[in-house]
Amino acid sequence: MWKEIEKRESGRVRPRSFANRVKSSRVASLQLSNHKDIVSPHKGSVNSLQVDLTEGRYLLSGASDASAAVYDVQQPQKLEGGGLIAKHKPIFVIDKQHEHRHKYAISSAIWYPIDTGLFVTGSYDHYIKVWDTNSTQAVMNFKMPGKVYSTSMSSLATSHMLIAAGTEDVQVRLCDIASGAFAHTLSGHRDGVMTVQWSNSSEYVLVTGGCDGAIRFWDIRRAGCFRVLDQSHSQLGRRPPLLERSAMTKVFVSCVVTCICILGSTSRSSSGGQNMSKATAVSRKSSHGNGAKHSGSNRISAKGSIKHRLHPGMLSSQDRATAHYGAVTGLKISEDGMYLFSAGSDSRLRLWDIESGCNTLVNFETVRLQTNKPIQLSVSEDSALVFVPCMTVVKAFDFWSGKTYFTFRGHYEYVNCCCYSALDQELYTGGNDRQILVWSPFISYEADEGTTRNEDSWSD
Amino acid sequence: MMRAQFPHIDKVSIRPFVLRSQLYSSVVDRTQVDRELESLRRTKVLRIFKLNTGQDDHAIMFLDDYLNQIERAVKRMEEKNVHDLEVFEWFKIHVIDTRLEPNISHQDLCSLLSLGGKVKDNQISVLINGGVIIRQLIDPSMYWFAIPNVGSMLKGLSQGRKELLSLLSRRRYKEMLLASLEKKRLRLSPLDMRFHLRDLIGSGHLKTIKTPTGLVVRISKE
Repeated sequence: MWKEIEKRESGRVRPRSFANRVKSSRVASLQLSNHKDIVSPHKGSVNSLQVDLTEGRYLLSGASDASAAVYDVQQPQKLEGGGLIAKHKPIFVIDKQHEHRHKYAISSAIWYPIDTGLFVTGSYDHYIKVWDTNSTQAVMNFKMPGKVYSTSMSSLATSHMLIAAGTEDVQVRLCDIASGAFAHTLSGHRDGVMTVQWSNSSEYVLVTGGCDGAIRFWDIRRAGCFRVLDQSHSQLGRRPPLLERSAMTKVFVSCVVTCICILGSTSRSSSGGQNMSKATAVSRKSSHGNGAKHSGSNRISAKGSIKHRLHPGMLSSQDRATAHYGAVTGLKISEDGMYLFSAGSDSRLRLWDIESGCNTLVNFETVRLQTNKPIQLSVSEDSALVFVPCMTVVKAFDFWSGKTYFTFRGHYEYVNCCCYSALDQELYTGGNDRQILVWSPFISYEADEGTTRNEDSWSD
Repeated sequence: MMRAQFPHIDKVSIRPFVLRSQLYSSVVDRTQVDRELESLRRTKVLRIFKLNTGQDDHAIMFLDDYLNQIERAVKRMEEKNVHDLEVFEWFKIHVIDTRLEPNISHQDLCSLLSLGGKVKDNQISVLINGGVIIRQLIDPSMYWFAIPNVGSMLKGLSQGRKELLSLLSRRRYKEMLLASLEKKRLRLSPLDMRFHLRDLIGSGHLKTIKTPTGLVVRISKE
């Protein structure tokens, strides 16, 4: 450790890479924390965990007994075990005695991305509530047509404050906090929507995964989704091969969406062995103004006589491509916004390249994944590891080779959610056994006997 | 590199095929397996079919073997005096070459077959009877591609799996030496023991552990 610091001092190692090395060595030694403990007040399984995005200090958890709690994960309330073990009790708990409580299980609890003054909870009682953190009151209520499976807010948003909600209804609804009403609904899925995620690269792009196995990309400024991921479209390797653009692709107005035209040409060419007859069908389709995807299943010309004319933006509802053979239970976009990781109830984990919309055929070895609830995945900050709850363990997979690097065994029952905090390199996991476990880099205590008594929370 | 795995199934009337899980158990790097399969599929050396036995089974067959199998199915149907057999020809020429995915939609199928001649609905039923395409349950206008006369093999596959797993789970410690396991014969399945072993190891239901006396096969718990 000292040699590394000396190297950085003398300039032989760049500051960034020094920091990365320290971080990755800490991540490599993650294990059940021997110095930190979170006391969970929940009487039901923990369904959702999130560390706030502004300071990385407060952890919000939502559970099946309609309770939500916030913990300070950096300052403990109590020190036990001779000052060695920090016990973090919840700062406040919203439980069934609260006047604005939810009636049934809370399936998702997220912080308002700008500051920690607000948080949003979505529950199986068809309501989404927006709470004020300081006064612990629900300030807004949105009624949904079905059980809310997942909610999400964009962390990049500067021009909108929309909550995207995925419910057991086929439409994805966008709720606006500023006005208190629904902004609009996105239809295209054919079964309930289990997970929603906003894109890390654009404030207008939303990704949703449904119980019908489809993953759709939506630009909320337009009707209809602009891409559906198809698992049979695959590319070998990280980046799609660079090929000439065909003359039929149209370039769209919105700045983010220029990636679609690359999609338009590469999806045709990356499905390499396909016949020319397919290419003409695709080019006919792209002239309809949608420009997005692949092939064969979208036979607009043949169906034109049968169906009435649809708005060009809605053509994607004809597309029945599936990303997974079962329901999509978890979605996570990597930190750089280029890759999407998806988990399905067919016990497969797939990695998608967002720009080309193709499945990069990385095989993650999993035997079984939980199938009835949405699970929350997490990626480490330099996108090298992805943490996936698989039944009763949490596995950390290498992003590119798909090998299991670590297996975190500690929960007694199924694990539902995990959240990685990049600031402290700690992993928080919550499961059906009502516990929230902390996994932190290993610290050995043998040498520290004399100094702990003199330390208080001000010394570092 | 996967071409070495050509199972010697000396069984009735069907050409050898390999399951994807067997490839996973034989080759260490699974991502590499997936990518090679994909590139071989695109160069039309292999075809992949989705099977309906359990979760995520795919059968992989060399293209020539598949064509052979179709030939045999056609001959069998000729014996039963079924007409309209030129559908199989069109199928072979137009559809197999162009559609590389395991499934195809109804419109697609009709339009491609009509490149050969006029297509009628009962000709599609002939194709289904011959076993080359199967209706999807979830989506009535899509079909899966299938291997003709594979039914008995699939039944044997799922029953053999169950039998093998129950054999191991009845033992006290849920494990057995690989050598003695290979010598056993399965009652219900025409496929041999090594086929099933490779398949279950690749799909993660069993795992092998090195011991001083050899490899031991155990049921994995997660």
